Amino acid sequence: MEGHAADNRKSAVHQGAEVAQFSVVGTRIRQPDGPAKATGEAKFAGDISLPGMLIGKILRSPYPHAVIKSIDTSKAEALPGVMAVLTPDNVAEWKTFDRGMKDMPLVAGGYRVPSEEAVVNKVARHYGDAIAAVAAVDEHTAEEAIELLEVEYELLPFVLDAEEAMQPDAPQVSDLAPDNVGKHLFYPYPEGDVDKALAEADLVVSGVFSTHKQDHCTQETAACVAYLDASGRLNVWSQCQLAHLGRRELASIFKMPVNRIKLMTPFVGGSFGQRGAVCAEPIAVALALRSKRPVRLVFSREDNFLGLESRTGFKKIDIKMGFTSDGTLTAIKTQMIGTLGGYMGCGPMSSVIGMTLAMGHYRCPNRFGEAHMVMTNTPVSGAMRGFGNDAMMFCIEQLMDDAARRLGIDPIDIRLKNAKEPGEIASMGLELESTYMEDCLQLGAEAFGWHEKRTQAKKDEGPIKRGYGMATMSHCTGAAPLYLEHSNAMVKFNEDGSADLTVHPAPVGQHIWGALSQICAEELGIRAEDVHIVTGDTDVTLFEYGSDASRSTYAIGGATLRAARQAKEQMLARAAEMLEVPADRLEVKDRVVVVKGRPDKTVTVAEVCYDAIYAFGGRATNFAGKQSFESTWNSPTYGAYFAEVEVNTETGRVHVPRFVTAIDCGKAINPMAVEGQLEGGLQQGLGYALTENFIVNPKTGVVETDNYDSYKVPGALDMPDSTVLIVDKPDPKGPFGAKGVGEPGMVGIPPCIANAVYDAIGVRLRDLPMTPERVLEALTEKTEGETETVRGE
Amino acid sequence: MKTVATFTVNGLPHEIAVEPHQLLIEVLREHLGLTGTKHSCGVGNCGACTVLVDGTPELACLTLAMEVRDKSVLTIEGLAKEGLLHPLQQAFVDYGAIQCGYCTPGMILTGKALLDDNPDPTEHEVREALAGNICRCTGYVKIVEAVLAAAEVMRKGGN
Ligand code: FES
Ligand code: FES
Repeated sequence: MEGHAADNRKSAVHQGAEVAQFSVVGTRIRQPDGPAKATGEAKFAGDISLPGMLIGKILRSPYPHAVIKSIDTSKAEALPGVMAVLTPDNVAEWKTFDRGMKDMPLVAGGYRVPSEEAVVNKVARHYGDAIAAVAAVDEHTAEEAIELLEVEYELLPFVLDAEEAMQPDAPQVSDLAPDNVGKHLFYPYPEGDVDKALAEADLVVSGVFSTHKQDHCTQETAACVAYLDASGRLNVWSQCQLAHLGRRELASIFKMPVNRIKLMTPFVGGSFGQRGAVCAEPIAVALALRSKRPVRLVFSREDNFLGLESRTGFKKIDIKMGFTSDGTLTAIKTQMIGTLGGYMGCGPMSSVIGMTLAMGHYRCPNRFGEAHMVMTNTPVSGAMRGFGNDAMMFCIEQLMDDAARRLGIDPIDIRLKNAKEPGEIASMGLELESTYMEDCLQLGAEAFGWHEKRTQAKKDEGPIKRGYGMATMSHCTGAAPLYLEHSNAMVKFNEDGSADLTVHPAPVGQHIWGALSQICAEELGIRAEDVHIVTGDTDVTLFEYGSDASRSTYAIGGATLRAARQAKEQMLARAAEMLEVPADRLEVKDRVVVVKGRPDKTVTVAEVCYDAIYAFGGRATNFAGKQSFESTWNSPTYGAYFAEVEVNTETGRVHVPRFVTAIDCGKAINPMAVEGQLEGGLQQGLGYALTENFIVNPKTGVVETDNYDSYKVPGALDMPDSTVLIVDKPDPKGPFGAKGVGEPGMVGIPPCIANAVYDAIGVRLRDLPMTPERVLEALTEKTEGETETVRGE
Repeated sequence: MKTVATFTVNGLPHEIAVEPHQLLIEVLREHLGLTGTKHSCGVGNCGACTVLVDGTPELACLTLAMEVRDKSVLTIEGLAKEGLLHPLQQAFVDYGAIQCGYCTPGMILTGKALLDDNPDPTEHEVREALAGNICRCTGYVKIVEAVLAAAEVMRKGGN
């Protein structure tokens, strides 16, 4: 296997006829960071050791709502080896911050969240809120020091449930949120008269749904190493997905110019949106500044569950959808109540993004949506893969199935009937660049055997009821025009024809270095392995918004393509001089510049680059491109999902033996990496749908799920037999036709499984997760569709 | 009270003074600088910290350093020989079985124990062997493929 990595056996790429012939793009290259990760050489934040380094630990509130009256630090400080203790009173010199970093010019016309969180907090607003921290010479001493802190709490009344929090007499969580409504937000692209359209519809399907707080469960916990060097510069190894924004947030908290901070991104053991907020950084930096020593702060698994943002749960999503009798969607009306937890973070926008993507998925002339995002004394909600689209699609795709059934239309046909076409306005309010949802449905249905399975009579399998379900989704590629979409790249040629690409995506495991090296190499006419990625240091990289919203390949790839083109043009101009032909007669492929139509007239890229660098007589130059990219458009990725389930009507357990995902993510830069995103998304989607459940004790506010024994993520034996199909037709605007693929893998899973469960047992499960208890409960009630009304019935 | 314990790590003998409560993961990571052994759940639920002790997978976050006295420990750093990746490491790279890479050392070492014991496992046997190792990135598909592919290479005597 020279150059290319192994072929995957089950999954397939279906190339469209119009796809251009590429030499590097579209190949299954190995990742440049693979060997380092396979040998244990790769350094993650928690692996970094510096001379004299201290270990940090956090004290977290055991109460959901309390004022920290006092902390007696004398015993802890007297313990040999304790070098710094942070309490709410002694961190007051540093500014409060917005962990979601949205108090910045990031959200176009959106809200601003005032800074509200301190390095450690005077008022604990949720169980596990950070209230003190220590740094000591080793972990055991740090742990002991935490135990020695004597805290006097004044307990406050607390509220855990979003709907209860909206009651007039509910305890107040934050001064910034009157009546605990942190944000009252609206669907940004309303259209028509939704109430009138619903009143006139031939069929209205509706339901009240709920979704839960899913933990990202990154295998690496939050971690940060920080130290102030002798020249007064702050050096930080940070996992932040948005490195430059993380640096800016730290500069703001600690009142430093941004270029006094060197923020470095080591390998990151998973993120999925969680490191889009600042996590371990503020406390690690504060401890380093106080102790004047390097500090390493690594969260425990429990710290991760309590102290980081996890998926925003929706207490209530009330949706009504109107249809004409031929299955044409005429109206969608949505009302959401979301649970934010003790701070606002990234949570509020999950409603806006969710409504935007899901309500704009189908053609629909009448749309309205609003959300109350409510503060509660529970751990903080934020962004996780899907960012609200998961929750909204869970509802919409179930109602779509209800409508199909009521109207006697095939579930696939009703979706095709309402699917958008290129040139229509897509979910993000911009013209739709490309959609191949029909291809997804066709490929997926065929691979799954949808039509045969749906029509054949079901075998009697005793208590096991078998069902088949499908769902579709679309998801944004980057978040233009709602969020800032600004990326930069630099490309330089070396004298041997190799190239260095300077970019700053978050290396969270999405095979982004490989994809960017492919885009760069394809444009430069060299091989992927000729491209070295220079990254992970804000001293070196240009501004980069970062890796989120499924944007890296598209936006950072877009900047890469432009920068590479610029460097290539310089190189070709020199090659034209050398070959004595005009530059437009040249093309470059596999490291060689060729005169078109004259295969004998060539010069290697290496020769041209050497000639440029080691030149006399005023001809010396280093070919280099530097380009910005800001997308003002958005090309959604489309997907179709098919599931087979077995519901055990005695135990309530839902088992998923088979799953097919078909995806239109434009041109797959590396099909193996695309498959990896979708296969991994399935694990998270499956857990979200069935087993993962963040449980807060309703009486005490204590979080009961703080590790993998109580919080069940799917293991290798729980996974379905999975097939991934890639449509592989290029988008007109993405780099070499690529669109985003980070989040789509997870968004369509829960409704697909819910639809299969309905097919199996005839019961609608409207609450996530679909636990055995809920399945049994639903079976006992079996009062399906109590809210559906058909006109004239 | 520290006791001096001798044990072999990746083929090299070590003599280290350890506290009775000290965990193997701490000795490996903090004393020997072998940070390839990963810490994730800390309580035996995820397999990230898996190392081989006399060839058997053990969770370094639950194992006391004293327990491996006079035994031989293999960590991920000891698997490649003379710069050549072990077939499992090579297959993980080739099959895209590594995303963030945090579960990788534990997965590869668990896979090695399986293949040393059962050179020709079925897909189900691979999944059973890896059932205690959580991966949050890959959905296990390519990990299982990589273990099966490595098994084939190893059966053919490849390295
Ligand atoms: S860290 Fe040892 S099993 Fe999870
Ligand atoms: S590759 Fe990230 S946890 Fe497995």
